Amino acid sequence: MSLVDLATTRKPWIVRHRLLLLGVLAAVLFPFVIAIVVDGAPISAVWENADGNAKFLQGLAIEVVVLALYAMSYDLVLGVSGLLSFGHAMFFAVGAYSLGILLKSAGLGLVPSLLIVMGIAVLVALLFAVVLPRVKGIGFALVTLGLASVTGIIISSSEFKDYTGADVGLQGVPSPDWLNPTDQRFRFYLVSMGVLVLVYLLYQRLVDSPTGKVLVAVRDNEDRALMLGYSTFWYKTFALIVASMTAALAGSLHTLYQPIVTPEVAGLGFTVAALLMILIGGVGTVSGAIVGAAVFRLTEFYLDRWFEGLSNLLIGAGYILLVLFLPYGIVGTWRTRSNRIGEGRSRLARLLSGSKGE
Amino acid sequence: MSDVLIRTEGLRKEFGALVAVDDVSVSIERGTLHSIIGPNGAGKTTFFNLVSGTIKPTAGRVYLDGDDVTNIPVHRTIHHGIGRSFQITNLFPSLTVLENVRLAAQATGSDGFRWWRSHARFTDYVSRAEEVLTQVGLVERAFDIASNLPHGDQRKLELAMILAPDPEVLMLDEPTAGMAAEQVPELIALIRDVQTSGDKTVVLVEHNMGVVMNTSDRITVMAQGAVLAEGTPDEISANEEVKVAYLGSLYEDLG
Ligand SMILES: Nc1ncnc2c1ncn2[C@@H]1O[C@H](COP(=O)(O)OP(=O)(O)O)[C@@H](O)[C@H]1O
Ligand SMILES: [Mg+2]
Repeated sequence: MSLVDLATTRKPWIVRHRLLLLGVLAAVLFPFVIAIVVDGAPISAVWENADGNAKFLQGLAIEVVVLALYAMSYDLVLGVSGLLSFGHAMFFAVGAYSLGILLKSAGLGLVPSLLIVMGIAVLVALLFAVVLPRVKGIGFALVTLGLASVTGIIISSSEFKDYTGADVGLQGVPSPDWLNPTDQRFRFYLVSMGVLVLVYLLYQRLVDSPTGKVLVAVRDNEDRALMLGYSTFWYKTFALIVASMTAALAGSLHTLYQPIVTPEVAGLGFTVAALLMILIGGVGTVSGAIVGAAVFRLTEFYLDRWFEGLSNLLIGAGYILLVLFLPYGIVGTWRTRSNRIGEGRSRLARLLSGSKGE
Repeated sequence: MSDVLIRTEGLRKEFGALVAVDDVSVSIERGTLHSIIGPNGAGKTTFFNLVSGTIKPTAGRVYLDGDDVTNIPVHRTIHHGIGRSFQITNLFPSLTVLENVRLAAQATGSDGFRWWRSHARFTDYVSRAEEVLTQVGLVERAFDIASNLPHGDQRKLELAMILAPDPEVLMLDEPTAGMAAEQVPELIALIRDVQTSGDKTVVLVEHNMGVVMNTSDRITVMAQGAVLAEGTPDEISANEEVKVAYLGSLYEDLG
């Protein structure tokens, strides 16, 4: 077998995506199983959106989807392309607030609003890109943190209270009847899952494409990528645009689902949340973002329920152990079936110090 | 008939008070193997950086085939047909050997932004990578991670990466640096072969005087940033000034 054959022959699509297909199947069956087993209700309770555990857990799953989209977009920026951004929450916040304002104050329909939000997301990404050639590594982290902080200040400012709700938060965003998060919970759940699957497949494609390979090269040794003839600026800009659109989509879903959107979504804490999720799942793995979001949201929710005041302490300790002993994350470790701790730690250190290559 | 491909004119580079390259005007003819020699710190690597666009000169110009390429951005260099290797190994350390070379091949095509198709569908780049890896004798290690290769193989990979896009000019900065002595002739023979069979122009920095004298068509001797002498290997080995300033004992070793 020639090298070309070895390097380019793939298993069939269905085999490569068997876990995804199983996941989709499980996600569709999940509300029915909960309805029957836990709630003791007939299966019609699911599409009739009757109150109960099935409905509640679908809500939690929707929150996981929102976080998964958001974390995946951060993984494209940090994990795949090696861009250390501390302002990622801005992408989410701009999406969340823009959609809310367009629906509520401008009174536009959902589809035109979403299209405008995507346009705004591109502009925000370009704002980040303008900074790219001027500051590298930790400098980029600080400038992006600054941009996100300014966004947070604008959102919380009383000047724009009529539009943003200032520090109280944005409330009363009308959702279309066909996608009402309460009355049409099951439909909302299926739509969110569908969006996640589509975005995930798109990301898989992107990361495996010539473009994705260049992004990884940029992460590994940007100077060499330049010398090879790649205009790395445009590749990084491309990654930022895709990530910004994805995070804005996550923010939009968040606004549609939550009764209230607060300025915290622009804060450093929310960027750190994205970082934690990809650390859990595995930095640079893409699918790790989904696993990470699920673990993140569920541990947060259940530890809070079981341990109340102690939960933050436990979560913090958990993360420290994770970074120390599972530096490739859940998916990263699973893929290689090995856990080279020292190597993984130095890889993380390299990414998070913003210095690329050797 | 002389056919100048690369010409520098009064090239100068200052690092603070230090003049690393001082008024260097050289002409390199198409299809020749042109060596640049000189003691450490003579400014050879800086000269390479200036010609390949990695850094910008304080003064002076670089012409390629008559076109002024002094201020082209570094990522355009290869598109002007200049491939350049590094004295200090400069790879994608966490990627496979194959991916290092495949990326080098992909860079000259126009598929970089085809983000919706798998890279595996662009088999041209993979076969080019295979071709070059076979040439340098690394094909068995195609799926190894670059940083896990022994030093000598990393040098071969470095060479493979500049061969992959098939540039007209190969600028090789100490390609054999740190290689085991018995591997050196093999690599030099390969370079010579690529040069003559592909009618390429090679600019070579090399410390092994035996290699330089035997393979070069022309030699430029640099010292303290400036050109000390230029000529054929015979002229250079006969040059008293060069002997005194640089060749000295090395020259006697040659016998
Ligand atoms: N980026 C730099 N900053 C400051 N000094 C430099 C830099 N690069 C090279 N030099 C200095 O310029 C001189 C020439 O170096 P170099 O071109 O590497 O020489 P060579 O390759 O001939 O050994 C040396 O004195 C070196 O210390
Ligand atoms: Mg040097």
